[in-house]
Amino acid sequence: MANHRLDKIKPLVALGAFLVAWWIVPTAIKSFLRVSFSEFQAPAWVATSYLDDLEGFWARRSHSKVELIEAGREVARAKSLYQFNAQRNETLENEIQRLESILNLPSRREFRYEVARVIRRDLNAWWQQIVIRKGEDYKIPVGAAVVFYGGVVGRVVEVNAFTSRIELISSPNFRMAANFEGDERPVVYQGLAQGGFGEPKGVVRDAPQDMVASTQAPLKLVSTRLGGTFPPGLMIGRVNWLQPGSTGIFQTGTVELNSDLLSLHEVAVLIPLYPIDLDSDAP
Amino acid sequence: MSGYDFHRGENPRILFFFWIVMAAGITLLVGLGWRQLIAYQKYEEIERRQTERRIFKPGPRGDIYDRKGNLLVGNRPQYSAVVYLDDLRREFRSEYSQIIRAEREKLRQAYEQTPESEREDSQLTPNYNDLQWIARQNVIQRYIDQINRITGRDDSLSMRKIIRHFNEQLLLPLPLVEDLNADQYARLIEQVPVKSAIQIHTDTARYYPYGVAAAHTLGYVQNVNPDPDEIPDDGIKTFTFKTKRGKTGLERHFNDLLSGETGTEIWRVDPLGFQDSMLEMKTPKQGQDLITSIDIDLQLAAETALGERTGAAVALDIHSGEVLAIASHPSYDLNDLSPFIPRNTFDEINERGAWLNRAVQLSYPPGSTFKLITSIAGMRHGSMTPETEHDCQGLYRLGNRIFRCNARYGHGIVDLAASIEASCNVFYYAEGLEMGIDVLSAEAKRFGLDQKTGIQIPFETSRLVVPSKEWKREQIGSGWVPGDTANTAIGQGFLLVTPLQMATVIASIARNETRTQPTLRALTNEEVQRVEHGGEAIGLTQKQHDALWEGMERVVGQDGTGRLVQIDGLRIAGKTGTADFRAHGKGVNLAWFVGFAPVENPQIAVAVMVEGTNASERYHGGSTAGPVAKDILLEFIEQYPERAGFSAAR
Repeated sequence: MANHRLDKIKPLVALGAFLVAWWIVPTAIKSFLRVSFSEFQAPAWVATSYLDDLEGFWARRSHSKVELIEAGREVARAKSLYQFNAQRNETLENEIQRLESILNLPSRREFRYEVARVIRRDLNAWWQQIVIRKGEDYKIPVGAAVVFYGGVVGRVVEVNAFTSRIELISSPNFRMAANFEGDERPVVYQGLAQGGFGEPKGVVRDAPQDMVASTQAPLKLVSTRLGGTFPPGLMIGRVNWLQPGSTGIFQTGTVELNSDLLSLHEVAVLIPLYPIDLDSDAP
Repeated sequence: MSGYDFHRGENPRILFFFWIVMAAGITLLVGLGWRQLIAYQKYEEIERRQTERRIFKPGPRGDIYDRKGNLLVGNRPQYSAVVYLDDLRREFRSEYSQIIRAEREKLRQAYEQTPESEREDSQLTPNYNDLQWIARQNVIQRYIDQINRITGRDDSLSMRKIIRHFNEQLLLPLPLVEDLNADQYARLIEQVPVKSAIQIHTDTARYYPYGVAAAHTLGYVQNVNPDPDEIPDDGIKTFTFKTKRGKTGLERHFNDLLSGETGTEIWRVDPLGFQDSMLEMKTPKQGQDLITSIDIDLQLAAETALGERTGAAVALDIHSGEVLAIASHPSYDLNDLSPFIPRNTFDEINERGAWLNRAVQLSYPPGSTFKLITSIAGMRHGSMTPETEHDCQGLYRLGNRIFRCNARYGHGIVDLAASIEASCNVFYYAEGLEMGIDVLSAEAKRFGLDQKTGIQIPFETSRLVVPSKEWKREQIGSGWVPGDTANTAIGQGFLLVTPLQMATVIASIARNETRTQPTLRALTNEEVQRVEHGGEAIGLTQKQHDALWEGMERVVGQDGTGRLVQIDGLRIAGKTGTADFRAHGKGVNLAWFVGFAPVENPQIAVAVMVEGTNASERYHGGSTAGPVAKDILLEFIEQYPERAGFSAAR
């Protein structure tokens, strides 16, 4: 009887022993184990994502010729639009360079774009992260900005050999400097703990008291260059209302983020060509 | 007899102890009942005092606007990086352990190196208190270093500040780096992890969109501890953030209006005094806004016109007494004084003599602008009429003294209007002596030149002198002589007035009254209708009035001393003045111009005074102060064309 009872508590004893051992293990070893675990998992995630791609490929193969022709036309139209935009961007960049040289201004800090596929989403109330299929192999740095067509996605928080982990803008652990479109004063944006399957949201603080937002005239919150991570003007979200904060003068409000954030397939990592060197003037 | 018999209940000795225990039990129960049921409030109160702490958060100050709604003083965000010491307790302990170990090792080595005969056990005991503070400073400095790396700053925090914060403001966040600019603030927001002990704290500092404009009038604030009377006397220990209190100018005069409503947080704390949970919160509220009578466009015009010169300019609304512009130079940029006044800034402003508001805090001889009062006094006294004439040969002999006119070879025969136009001293020497100092002095007092104006600017000077025989006897100790009267008649001698007073005098003359009550508050239309300046009618006949005004209008005419003030299409009445003055031990000139416009329907009164700063340079009312007044009047036409008699903006 006693032996039987002992058998029953064996797993609990083992768990307790493991937790105690984990508790006393030095931080460096813990960190090494965590990274190793991520690296160990990564090939499986990458393989899964390739399988997903393959699945998508075969799913598309099953479409009729008419559908494929229509899709091809759509792609051609989109391509021509993008080509037009690319040409316009090039013209604008040349114009900017010309003006910079005339005004003797320092050249703007530029980014290299690395488009990467999302291979995993880790979304819960405490943190919201995604994993992308590029890492050190593409020289992605920790802290780099990540964007998509709808604006800011988040920031790279961990880089492994072939994958990178990104803290989403909707995560409570994500914070950035921002400003309202057309207003240069910096405000604080922070992700908000999400409940269940709700829309992604954030909170804006330190909004100047003269800013007025309403559902009829929401304010656009965009990124600012001041923080050093994001290029200016990228969309963060919309603010429908603002109310006085605890200071009695600055306002606070909820930011509605792009709902596509939680179902992203591809994102672009902005890798600074000239990383900020705080000990010298910016290039 | 069994052994149990020994313990029988009726044993008197047992009974004795029984009653003792019984009494003790009852006493305990009664005591417990007393404390729990009767005196529980007292113990609740003691527990509250021990476990609760209050934090006072002053509300932001209200804004100050000009009469057209332009923001003159607002609040800008003031960013700082702070830590709540409660969040660092583990790090403090860890650092302390390391330091203690290292210190013990060091002491042990020192002990071993000491000759045995000189060894003392106390050598092995570290100073725990000092090491505790060092540990705290090390931890705090590590956070500051992290901030410095991100912002590129080079800040540190002294041990004295840390100790003071621990002892006096433990519940409040400890400021690590203050007054971050927007760039540094944004970098910290993005680069300091959300879960870091470093918090980015946003407070407010006063912000002045127009910098130097009306600096003396608007005033500045200083950070002070809140009034102890505001703190409830309920025994709960209260921590207070510093509040802003008006130190000078409107900020001081309207401090109660502008001050925000203080917010309160009540926290439950642990036995060490660190915060545990918030029990109550009341959000601070911003103070009320103040709408001033100042028109920022006129103010800027006055500031620009004064430029680098030393002096003051005042523009008043003639009917309401509202101050449209009030400038004093040299001035300072109010933004340099916010959130606090750096020592070198204070010294630099002090050195330039820029702290003084020359419009109200310094008094000067009014020079020939006072001849308007002399004229009124003479006409009311009856010794002077519009037809009174004097032959000016450039000087006036009084006994063995010679009093000179401003025209070396004289003005010839001049009547009242011509003497005002040419500012003939001889005319006024003669007339002043004719009417006597008593009449002259009484008239000046009737216009309030011996009293403060009562404007809402603190520290208005009380050094205002309208001399009389009694005054001279009391103040100087000698008798009045005719020469004193002659000097007073032309605005020299002992007379001392402020530029604001002269603005009220000219506004009063424009309204045919003796007093103008200046105000810096914007008045509503109903309030303007009800304005009581507190004076009386000047009391001139129509003919006398016309002669006076004719002379003043001729001042700004082709041959007048104030011809540089002329503006096409605007009839201006004025008077120039050039007074002798001693400043910083050297004799200099003062240039004055007072005037109003338009003559047919007076709306604005202007007084300009420019101090001579260079003894070798001549300063004239017409050529130095006049153009400043002209610029103000031009801006008035631009801003209020209809009031100036123009159909539309020029």
